[in-house]
Amino acid sequence: MEILKQKLSSDFDGLNIHIPDDKRMIISIAKESILSLLSYLKNDGYEHLALISCNDWIDAGKLELIYILSAYMADDTHYQEKEKKSIIIKTKISRNTAKFITISNLFNSAEPYERELHEMFGIVFEGHPRLTPLMLEREYKIPPFRKDFDTQAYVDNTFGKIPSIQQQKEGLQ
Amino acid sequence: MDRNQISKWFKNPGKMAHKYSFHAVYFCTGCGIIEIPPSITTRWDAERFGIIPVATPRHANLFLITGYVSTKTLKAIIRTYEQMPEPKYTVAFGSCPINGGMYYDSYNTIKQLDKYIPIDGYIAGCMPRPEAVFIGVTHLWKLIDMDKADGYKRYREDYALYRANQEQLFGELDWPPLFKNEKN
Repeated sequence: MEILKQKLSSDFDGLNIHIPDDKRMIISIAKESILSLLSYLKNDGYEHLALISCNDWIDAGKLELIYILSAYMADDTHYQEKEKKSIIIKTKISRNTAKFITISNLFNSAEPYERELHEMFGIVFEGHPRLTPLMLEREYKIPPFRKDFDTQAYVDNTFGKIPSIQQQKEGLQ
Repeated sequence: MDRNQISKWFKNPGKMAHKYSFHAVYFCTGCGIIEIPPSITTRWDAERFGIIPVATPRHANLFLITGYVSTKTLKAIIRTYEQMPEPKYTVAFGSCPINGGMYYDSYNTIKQLDKYIPIDGYIAGCMPRPEAVFIGVTHLWKLIDMDKADGYKRYREDYALYRANQEQLFGELDWPPLFKNEKN
């Protein structure tokens, strides 16, 4: 971890590296250099994209994308160093425009994660091959995982407005 | 066999027969599906109560909905229910199909399942144990004896209302109506 930290801080500007324990490394980075950092780490052996997640910081007006990389266990020289270690990369994008570049060229497994984030947070990933609906059945005005999505009001407006069969029959008679 | 049930067998043999041989199709929604494998296998052995799991809804007359229902699975539930031959009985597990349960403010979970398909019995709990499943089944026997497990009749009668509710939730449904109702 320390070796990688020294290598990264010599090669990249503006990194904020934090190592909470010896199995995790948290890197905060500006959004412009995310692709170069990811491809650097991929060449370094962290080939497995475990997850892309997102946080909604509504007060700061930012969406925080979180990429988690780890290494496959293989017989190489850095085997001991990379085994079971994950690298967490955080970057912040603007909440209002919510546009970002896709990394599905780099990691093929990013495609479903980006589709999910497009549905749940409304982030448009430019260059993504198909941003079609993945899980949700219908359209929402505000993407449902954003903080300003009022779930209770939504429930009252959609499910609450459907009358029960008994009420309707009593109304008919 | 219980001796005082003999008169019931002579009176209405068909009803007694399908009452004691439930062929169950269970819809694996939510957490309740965890309770199904111990219920049907050796530990609690649902076959004591005449319940046998079957492969397709076209062989079944008992429909177990095990847990919360999201809007996407509701479509599959409606289609499964409509494929089952009559008489058919529906039992919903847990508090989520009753009123939403812990998903009362979720953006995609159905709050009251009986707005969309008729439910004959609920088993309350979060999540009910296999014993509760069997108690629910014995209650369902009583309801069948009293002709109160009439969900499939209600679905036939009020099909226009049920279909209207389903369409209000989904917009256009991509399957034709099951019954042609002359009244509406």
